[in-house]
Formats: sequence, C-alpha cells, structure tokens
Amino acid sequence: MKWAALVAVALPMLALAQAQGDPDKGKAAFEQCAACHSLGEAGDYDGPTLKGIIGRTAGSLDDYRYSAAMKRSGVTWDAGTLDQYIADPQAFIPGNRMAFAGIGDKALRDDLIAYLAVAAR
Amino acid sequence: MPTRLKEVDVVIVGLGWTGGILAKELSEAGMRVVALERGGPRATNPDFAIPLIRDELKYAVRNALMQNPARDTLTFRHSPSERSLPMRQLGSFLPGEGLGGAGVHWNGVTWRWTGIDHALRSHYEHRYGKAFIPSDMPVQDWPMSYAELEPYYDKFERTAGVSGKAGNLRGTRQEGGNYFEQPRDREYPLPALESSYSQMLFKEAAAQAGYHPFPRPCANASRAYTNPDGARLGACVYCGHCERFGCEANAKGSPHITVIPKAMAQPSFELRTHSWVTKVMLDSSRKKAVGVSYTDVSTGQEYEQPAAIVALCAYAINNVHLMLLSGIGTPYDPVTQKGIVGKNYCYQPGGGGVTLFFEDKIFNPFMATGAFGMALDDFHASDQFDRTAMGAIGGATIAVGQSNGRPIGYRPVPAGTPRWGAEWKKATAKWYLRAMNIGVTASNMPNRYNAYDLDPTYKNVFGQPLLRLTYNFLENDRKVIAFVGQKAAEIARSMKPTSMTNPGALGDYNIVPYQSTHNTGGAIMGSSPKDSAVNRYLQSWDVPNVFVVGASAFPHNSAYNPTGPVGALAYWTADAIKTRFRNRPGLIT
Repeated sequence: MKWAALVAVALPMLALAQAQGDPDKGKAAFEQCAACHSLGEAGDYDGPTLKGIIGRTAGSLDDYRYSAAMKRSGVTWDAGTLDQYIADPQAFIPGNRMAFAGIGDKALRDDLIAYLAVAAR
Repeated sequence: MPTRLKEVDVVIVGLGWTGGILAKELSEAGMRVVALERGGPRATNPDFAIPLIRDELKYAVRNALMQNPARDTLTFRHSPSERSLPMRQLGSFLPGEGLGGAGVHWNGVTWRWTGIDHALRSHYEHRYGKAFIPSDMPVQDWPMSYAELEPYYDKFERTAGVSGKAGNLRGTRQEGGNYFEQPRDREYPLPALESSYSQMLFKEAAAQAGYHPFPRPCANASRAYTNPDGARLGACVYCGHCERFGCEANAKGSPHITVIPKAMAQPSFELRTHSWVTKVMLDSSRKKAVGVSYTDVSTGQEYEQPAAIVALCAYAINNVHLMLLSGIGTPYDPVTQKGIVGKNYCYQPGGGGVTLFFEDKIFNPFMATGAFGMALDDFHASDQFDRTAMGAIGGATIAVGQSNGRPIGYRPVPAGTPRWGAEWKKATAKWYLRAMNIGVTASNMPNRYNAYDLDPTYKNVFGQPLLRLTYNFLENDRKVIAFVGQKAAEIARSMKPTSMTNPGALGDYNIVPYQSTHNTGGAIMGSSPKDSAVNRYLQSWDVPNVFVVGASAFPHNSAYNPTGPVGALAYWTADAIKTRFRNRPGLIT
C-alpha cells in the first residue's frame, strides 16, 4: 500500500521531470551548459536552445544544424533520457556533436534536470 | 583605382587577441572602429565542431588555420653572410590568420612575465656587474614595471579564463603556487586543472630534489566560467586538440568567444574580413598616419580606409613587416647598428628536454590539454639561481606538459629505434602509452645580428618585398640549454625510467621542425626613441598615431610563453588610447 502510494506520487513527478533534484542547485550546475546553450531564444549560441527541451524530440529544431546521430536517435527528452544523456553523452547517442564529457554525479544531474524543467519551459 | 572610404576613429589591422581587445575597449568607449582581418570569419560552430575539428591531418599537419605561405611568407638566413631563401612551408612557427588569429589555435599557457624580465638590464647590471652583459647583446628594461602592468595581467587572465594557483598574493607566499612569481593582487579566476600522471610523478621527483614545482597557468578552463564581460566558457574536456585547433567546447580562452563578440555588439564597430592591409598611409610630413591601404582578397578591389588612429595588431612578424613597408621609423642596420625597426628579433630555444620510457607505467597521453603542466621556475624566475655558474644571461623553465597524444604526431620511441618499418611499428605501439617528456624552454637574449629587414629579392602576392629574417642560436643560448638540460636530466634519472633520451645540445636554429610560435621583437618598446621603435604605450615614436601592439614590442624573449603580456599590453594600450591619446593626440608622455 505504501509502495503503491509512492509510485502514484513519483510517476507524475517524473513526468514533470522535476525528479528529486533541487532546481536552485541545478541553476549553478547549468553554468556548465551555458557556454553553448540558451534557455531562451536561439541567439548567438553554439548549441541549440534548451527552451522547451522537456518533451521535445531530439534533433528536431528547424533552425539548428544537428549531427546525423542526434537526428536519427529517436530520443524524446524527458527526465530519464536527459539523465542518461548528461551522464555520458557519447555513450547514449554515439557520434553526436556536443563537446561535453558528462556529469558523473547523479544528484547533480537530478538538480540540473529539475532546473531545466523549471527554467527551460 | 582604390575606393576611398569614410574616415573612422580607429582602424585595427588584424583581429586576434590584441586587435580583439582594442576593438572591444575602444568601440565600447564610443570610438568608431573598423577592424581589417586578412583571413576569413570563424566561429566555434560550425568551424570547430566535433568530429570534423579532430582532423589531425588537416589542422595539425596541413595547418588549416594558419597563414598560407603561398600568399605571404618570410625569407630566412642564419647570418648576413648567407643568402636568404623563402620559407615555403610553415614549420618552426605557425602564425595565425583569420578571425581570432593565433588566439584560436594557441595552447593557452598564460604567464605573467618575471620581475627580472621587466627590468632585465638593470637587474643583471646590479646583480652581476655591467661586464656580465656581452657588448653584442642589446638587452634593455621594459618601459613599465611589473607592478604597473599587474592590473592588466589580471584583466587579461579574467577575460581568458585562466586556470592556475597563485604563489604570491600581495607579497605572501601561497602553498602550491609558483614560489618565484611576482606578487598578484588576487587568485586566478579558475583553479588549476587536474594533473596528468606524468605531471604528478614529476612533481614528486622535483620536490624531492628541492625544487618548487607548480601547476602552469593556462587558459584552458578547469570548469565552466563566465568572464567579467559575460562571455561564457565551457569546461575543458582534456581532448588533446588545443594547439593547431579551435576548441570545440569553448573551453580555451580565445578572442572569437570573448572580446570579439563584445566588439561586434557595438554599433560603432565594423569588421571586414578578407581585407589585406598592404600599407599604412602617411601624410607628407611622414610623422602622421592618415589611414591604411587594403585589398579585399575575395574581389581584388583596393580600398583606402582613412583613420585618426592606426593600430597594428597583426601577428608579431607581420606588424614589423607593415612598419618597414610603410616607412614607419628607421630600419635597423646590423652593420652600423643604426636604426631601430627590425631590431632585437628573438625566438625561444628548446631542445634540452628528455623523454622517459617506463615499462611499468601507463600515461594515457590522449587525455591532454594544450597548456596544463607541472613546471619549475627555479632556473628562470628565481633570483636565487646564480647565473655565474651557468655563465649566461636568462634561464629556462622545466616542465611536464602533455599537449596531445594524437596518432600522427605523437610517436615517442627510445633512441636507437629505426625510423620506419616493422621495428618502428612495434616500438611505437609499445611506447605510446609508456612515455613522458620533460621539456626545457629557454629565454632568448637579443643579438645585434638577429634581426628583420626587407628582402632584396623575393616578393609576396602583392609584389611587396618579403620580410627577411636573419637569426641563429648563440653561445648564450647553448649555455642555458646545456645547464638547465642537465638539471632536467637529473630529475628524470631520479624517476628511474626504464630508459631515457639524452638532453640534446643546442645546434644551429632550424626553421623546419615546429618549435614554438613565440616570435618576438622587431618593433621593440623602450623609454627613448634611441633604443626603441615604440614608447611605453606601444606608440610609434616617429608616427604617434600608430600603435604597434603585440609580442613585436618585446625587447627580449622570456622562457615563458608570450600571450600573458601580449594580452596585458593590449589592455594597457587600449587604456592609454581611451583616456589620454583620444583627448590629446600626439606622443603620450
């Protein structure tokens, strides 16, 4: 019964991609992304904007030139796929062009994804 | 017939680090600035995006980001008795071309030069007596002290996102930093990078021997960083593709991601690429520049760009070339030792290093950054090091870096291995992971015969005489390399490698193999027009509305990389233009 209640709470939270993370800590972690990614308009950034990232199909923005690997990945971005990607970008989507080694710390990834869920709407 | 354009306040020749800094500072101050860059535009995306940027053949072997010697090069000879010949392929050094200049493909080592460097002649005369400096070695003090330049070094470090550890904060020694460095007002903007295994082993051995190892300061960001102008840098991923490449992660402090975009955001700034400046135009008095002539190399159209101020911010070699082609200042003559432009060309002797091979150690050399390293300044910045034992002026740093482990270029094998064939293949496979290098980089003192002038025979694509370089290593250099090379070898032996190479003796300078892109002098700075081409604000003594910014101003070369003071001096000059020259044009006194 207890377990069922937990699932009932946890699933919608995951769906909202707020997970267990702390968006305030995630904001600091986002500096690692900010060299290339905007949370707003595409602007003068080397990577695609993250605005609306949650729920977006990977490689789907019309005004960004993605790698073939990203375009054919078939990934939809949610808390789970973002977590796997940020943990080890080349392992999750081999051949993608993001120049980032990944974040090994699960708690920090949760924070970052929680921040994205709030800030990259 | 050249098209005459509308006059601007400042025309900048070359848009790398120095041009970018001036462009940003002066356009933000409301001056109308035009930058003329003879190469093309470049941006991290798409130009440096992976995987294409990892093309070692294109970028590291065929030098895709550098000056094309088929269009413009220099001629070379070892001494005035030799006939000079054009350098038809890049080799010993790699001048940049294109937006961002060499600031795009540098490694990122960012020193503040030593107190000795800033007051070279005074220091040696005071400490060792006047007779210690040979009469054919025209060393001189910088026209500004380290303390005067300190805020500008700091400013550049913050712009470029330099990772390091202070050794001296306002006079108090700091554990873990450079014991011999000059006082800094504050820490580096970023902590030092992680060390490689080879660097850790070297650090331990050097400390055991009583030396003072410290992490070399570098503009490879140890973590994500936003600089004071709001430019965002990513964290270094230790990919080993710095030098000769642009950074895919925006983790290398480079002008195209820092100062240049800030200038571009100013309505009073305009960039024109593919614009090759052939001459600074002077008025009939030849004491005032009225602008520059340039050719759009994509159309062949010639232009005249009038300007109140001309800032030469090309590569150090090309700054001197433009001065000679334009008749700014008196060309230097090594026979009579009269004149000044072209004088005190210096380079940077290496070659005293050793490679160590360990059967039982794995170094993973592919995990690398252009600039990270463990260094010793005990034979360079240290005044405790008595130069009488070495019998020479200057010194050398000893360092373990690991700039790359790339498949074409990085093939360490023990001495005696065949140069090709099955044995070579076996050795290169075996030792790739098991080798490390201890490098020795020496300062270089000027000599009366090491200089530039215009070549009497060879011309560039515009029919202009090529710059001629006369240069060789000399006795002073051989002594420094031999002395410090032995010290490096002693440390290496204490690390008990399976085998190691012997430190080579320094022979004649060879312009073919890559050594460093650390070409200095030719338009040197000083306190009097008698011994310098530019004053302490890098302003031409002869044509005061021409500023010549970059390593061309160094009166000698340190054992350090040049970009730290190059950046600092660019900020220093920009300040002098904004706050002094602008209100009262003429020689700044």
